[in-house]
Amino acid sequence: MKDMEKLYQARLKRYVTAMRNEKPDQVPIRPFVAEFTAKYAGYTCAQVAHDYSLAFEAACKCAADFDWDAVVANMVYVWTGLTEAIGLKYYGVPGIHIPEDVGFQYREPAEGQAFMKADEYELLAKDPTGFLYNVWLPRASADVSPEGAPTSYRNNLSFLKGGMAMLSYFNAFGPQIQRLRQESGTVSAIAGIFKQPFDILADKLRGYLGLTMDLFERPKEVLKACEALMPHLCHVALSGADPDKNVPIGFWMHRGCTPFINHDHFNQFVWPTLKPIIEEIWRQGHQVLFYAEGRWMNHLDAFAELPDGSIVFHVDQDDIFEVHKRIGHKFCLTGGIPNYLLAYETPDKVRAFCKKVIDEVAKDGGYIMDASAIMQNDTAIENIKAMTEFTREYGVY
Amino acid sequence: MSEIKTPQIKPGICIPWEEKLKELPKIQGDEALYQRIWEDNEALGYMYIWQVLLSF
Repeated sequence: MKDMEKLYQARLKRYVTAMRNEKPDQVPIRPFVAEFTAKYAGYTCAQVAHDYSLAFEAACKCAADFDWDAVVANMVYVWTGLTEAIGLKYYGVPGIHIPEDVGFQYREPAEGQAFMKADEYELLAKDPTGFLYNVWLPRASADVSPEGAPTSYRNNLSFLKGGMAMLSYFNAFGPQIQRLRQESGTVSAIAGIFKQPFDILADKLRGYLGLTMDLFERPKEVLKACEALMPHLCHVALSGADPDKNVPIGFWMHRGCTPFINHDHFNQFVWPTLKPIIEEIWRQGHQVLFYAEGRWMNHLDAFAELPDGSIVFHVDQDDIFEVHKRIGHKFCLTGGIPNYLLAYETPDKVRAFCKKVIDEVAKDGGYIMDASAIMQNDTAIENIKAMTEFTREYGVY
Repeated sequence: MSEIKTPQIKPGICIPWEEKLKELPKIQGDEALYQRIWEDNEALGYMYIWQVLLSF
């Protein structure tokens, strides 16, 4: 136990030092392994999605077997047992709606069937929490009754089971994080969740297609709604943040970049309602991990306006060498190892790419080894081993 | 840039204490106690819907 705590402290120091854009003793390894954990531990995607105790088990097994500094306590984060208890319509659950060994899917409603209508921006902006309970949830759940409609057994159970199941799930994270620390000396990589106002509208309320039309047809209402969401999203982010201020708040970035929207729309809607939140979170002493899914190269100048060290920038499909040139002097970078390489290429090719990243991006510190995107069950085990072992051998400063 | 404005109903609350207070008879005990516990439980209701939205 004592040795494990020593290992944990060394890894925490390594991970945090890199995130502050400084040079640790060696390049930290923090892979965001999702359904890969199921493949490695011998479970199906359905098992880890629907039974979080199996997902926790798989995460611990991987952490114990691989020499990783930090992991997410459960990267198969959406527990579909909970989403089914609430009656949420928008998930494809492995083994129910989709094949058993496919990761859970988000099913965006068809245009015209979005969970929020175009003329409801004012209502949302007036009281976002009330809107979510009274308008959004009855549409997003098969069981929740709309306001004013007769209640039902299923409605009542949705709230009771949903609430208790959520507490059960969230309360299980504390022991899981302790278990990772005690059994394998592994750091829990992030704490808390943040999403930007624009993505909330695009992901769960208006849908991407509906929102893109609204940007042209009712821009003032869209901006007003984004502004109304700001204090709530900031509050939620801070309420789950690491009290020790070591690990960052996870920010999952979806539709706010080109070419989903044009540059003017980024400047008009996305950035003005995102930047003040990041600044406030930083003012309170927390970093934010920009998990920049897709390509965000066109927006790096905007991100560079943020205070040095206030964010950790995760590189998905952008060229990590170019990103490093543009913002590496300000922020720690993570990721950038292409998922296709880890899924379909040879360990030698993985090692060669990791070498290039360590040589060019990690040479002065401020880099954390990870794949470009979350690793699912197509990731080859021998390639993850190659990435891990090579980084340990070659990534020593 | 937009500002993070404090909304009429502050984050963490669904139904403000002031609204609930109107439904109650005159409080005989320490009102701060009832308000604190009301708001602690409000925070759970608030967390539920925002976590459904963000995390699930």
